[in-house]
Amino acid sequence: MATTIAQLTLTSTDLLSDSLSLSAVSTLTKVGTSTGIEHTTGLARAKVTSTAKGTTSGQVTLYTADDYAAIAYLYVKNVATTAGHKIFIYDDTTSGDPIQFQLDANDFAFIPMHGDKTYMAYSPGGNDPLIEWMVLGQDQ
Amino acid sequence: MAITTTLTLKSDAGDLLTDELSVVTSKDLHKAGTTTDLNQVRMGRNEIPTGTSFDLLDATTLAINKANKVYVSNLSTDETYYITLVIDAKTIGRLYGGDWMFIPWNCDDATHDIEVTASTGTNTIEWACFHEGETLPTQGD
Repeated sequence: MATTIAQLTLTSTDLLSDSLSLSAVSTLTKVGTSTGIEHTTGLARAKVTSTAKGTTSGQVTLYTADDYAAIAYLYVKNVATTAGHKIFIYDDTTSGDPIQFQLDANDFAFIPMHGDKTYMAYSPGGNDPLIEWMVLGQDQ
Repeated sequence: MAITTTLTLKSDAGDLLTDELSVVTSKDLHKAGTTTDLNQVRMGRNEIPTGTSFDLLDATTLAINKANKVYVSNLSTDETYYITLVIDAKTIGRLYGGDWMFIPWNCDDATHDIEVTASTGTNTIEWACFHEGETLPTQGD
């Protein structure tokens, strides 16, 4: 069985009066089972040149609705190094294309997606930041 | 007041892929558009009974376009238990027992609350929101 581990650590020595040290480890499995996931899109990297949602070019499609069975895990990172060079991720399936996540420079996210919505990225500042992403789960 | 986050995605060679998968990324959490450290946090641990949707985090106008980094972990040990997370009436994802997520929460407006609903049984979660811009509610609200 494939074993894929996702781990997050959150640490700070000066946010609180005592140290903060938090670690979460998850073995990624098929829904409702202890069987490991078997598929991934692989790690991808692209330049985000669109400055608005709904434009026809320059946006990056991170995930297409129902491409994977629920739950699909999305890792995404804004590779830009200059603060303020943001990437917005919006839900292209829902009316109005609501923006759901804002990634500032070097920000990352790990999202166990419901899997039924297409996620796309654009950069409102026109800074053409690079984005890296990967989907893990069960292709269907 | 540095808060450091590190994400590791790992799978041994011959497991998920024929080669080893190892993705490691790290980030100090900053206020939006700056290199100034975030310096506020809300955190908690809750038992979520089934049948009702609860506001985990209320969006406020003070949070609009600010940095809001949210961590949620489902501590349930039964892998069939899960919580559904919704932002502004749009389902974002499900956290099954043992799953966690870390997102840069977008607060477009005050309707972008993060809601949680438990399924199968009472789920226990831990959560934290590292943020800026919050003031405490005025007494009497």
